[in-house]
Amino acid sequence: MTIQFDTMAQFLAMGKYAVYVWPSYGLTLLVVVLNIVWARRLLAQSKIEARRRLAMQEEQA
Amino acid sequence: MTWTWFHRLGSPPYVYRLAGRLTPWLAWSAAVLILAGLFGGLVLAPPDYQQGDGFRIIYVHVPTAWLSLMVYTWMGVAAAVGLIWRIKVAHAVAAACAPVGASFTAVALATGSLFGKPMWGTWWVWTPRLTSELLLLFLYMGYMGLRASFDDTQRADRASAVLAVVGIVNVPIVHYSVVWWNDLHQASSITLTGKDTMATSMLVPLLVSTLGFSLYFGAVLLVRLQGEILRRERAAAWIREALA
Repeated sequence: MTIQFDTMAQFLAMGKYAVYVWPSYGLTLLVVVLNIVWARRLLAQSKIEARRRLAMQEEQA
Repeated sequence: MTWTWFHRLGSPPYVYRLAGRLTPWLAWSAAVLILAGLFGGLVLAPPDYQQGDGFRIIYVHVPTAWLSLMVYTWMGVAAAVGLIWRIKVAHAVAAACAPVGASFTAVALATGSLFGKPMWGTWWVWTPRLTSELLLLFLYMGYMGLRASFDDTQRADRASAVLAVVGIVNVPIVHYSVVWWNDLHQASSITLTGKDTMATSMLVPLLVSTLGFSLYFGAVLLVRLQGEILRRERAAAWIREALA
């Protein structure tokens, strides 16, 4: 395996397929990041709700 | 052989803590593998003799399409386990799978479209592979929509699980569609029987990338699972400890 491109411009041009290759990679990485954000948000939200429930139970007790 | 490990997997506090411990390992190995796989695919793999550098889309298209099916299988099996043995944790796994699976099914369809335009001359054709993958997206969305229509988590779990289990039928249809019918979509280049139809220099980054995305799914699933478990637990003493 060797590096297939001589210049950065060649790499970015992707042999005239740049308009198809880069959006594919961009979209995939965007959704990869979004899923991390969504998962962490779900867990953080669930912790807040669980704490609220615990606090309510303590008040009632 | 004892079955204690299996019973433990039905215990919310055990799974919650296990998930927390496993997540960083999965996340970091996924990050390394995804970066290595995509670098290999974008830079090191030789251009395809027919598709030139356009073929490099497969290094994101194949792993996301693979995830779309793998996540559904996890979701369907977890939902079935939840229905049959009434295990809360299993329902939590199924619920955690859906948004991840749906988003990567959408990415698989979109990257496939971006691949189809230069190679086939069209963004979309109604062939079995594309149509059944679109149905997969609708199954995920139907599952999430059904869940959202219930206020009660337990009812949502049971009703949506039925849909998830029935929808499993579509998974082999997506996978074998290119074998059973003449599809514009090419047949699989990777097979378990070992007769791969790709050069090693192209194949290795693809396998690395696919493994990386699978581990990434594991990490995201475990974080969501912790959240889903917390939502299903009422007044459990262990939550006080876990959140302390």
